[in-house]
Amino acid sequence: MVTNVTNFSRSGLYDWMAQRVSAVVLAAYVLFLLGYIVLNPGMGYAQWHGLFSNNAMRIFSLLTLVALGVHAWVGMWTISTDYLTPTALGKWATVVRFLFQATCGIAMFVFFVWGVQILWGF
Amino acid sequence: MILFLGIAVLLFGLDKSLSSEEGFAQVKECLTSPLAKFVIWGLLSALLYHLVAGVRHLIMDAGVGETLEGGKLGSKIVLVVSAIVIVLLGVWIW
Repeated sequence: MVTNVTNFSRSGLYDWMAQRVSAVVLAAYVLFLLGYIVLNPGMGYAQWHGLFSNNAMRIFSLLTLVALGVHAWVGMWTISTDYLTPTALGKWATVVRFLFQATCGIAMFVFFVWGVQILWGF
Repeated sequence: MILFLGIAVLLFGLDKSLSSEEGFAQVKECLTSPLAKFVIWGLLSALLYHLVAGVRHLIMDAGVGETLEGGKLGSKIVLVVSAIVIVLLGVWIW
């Protein structure tokens, strides 16, 4: 049996909301950044450096990193509980799924710390 | 899964491009190669399709298009809009 003990909030409804709130943040960031790059063709290092030196941009980027962690966790949890089940994998399913989720969790944490280092390290 | 792994690629690009003038030039130089363009196109296509389909979810959460007919129409709109965006993205990249 697959239980919701490893989902983000132990509540499907809260996960549902967290997924959507983080989605809106991610969408806003992606559209902003893509739009900025498209509208500034031939951008040089100085302008790119200036954009990410702006405190508002750093706050927006950090918020996006947090949203990314939440969104990716809900997404990877959903994939793993849909497909890595006893029906699909037999009696080791729980171990496999837990290891997969642990790997995703560590990767997400690494991405977050790396992102913070990028934002405040240049 | 591709999007999850793609985060690493995009973070690496951001890291390199912000690290120094040379790093920025290196990323720019790298993105002129056909292979790199194709990889970025594929990655951003997956991301934009995910985004468009996600917006449809939000619209359906609001109670719009929840019927069988609406669901079919919505999925077609998502495919058409995504295709247009992905083609435009390709034009922009090349």
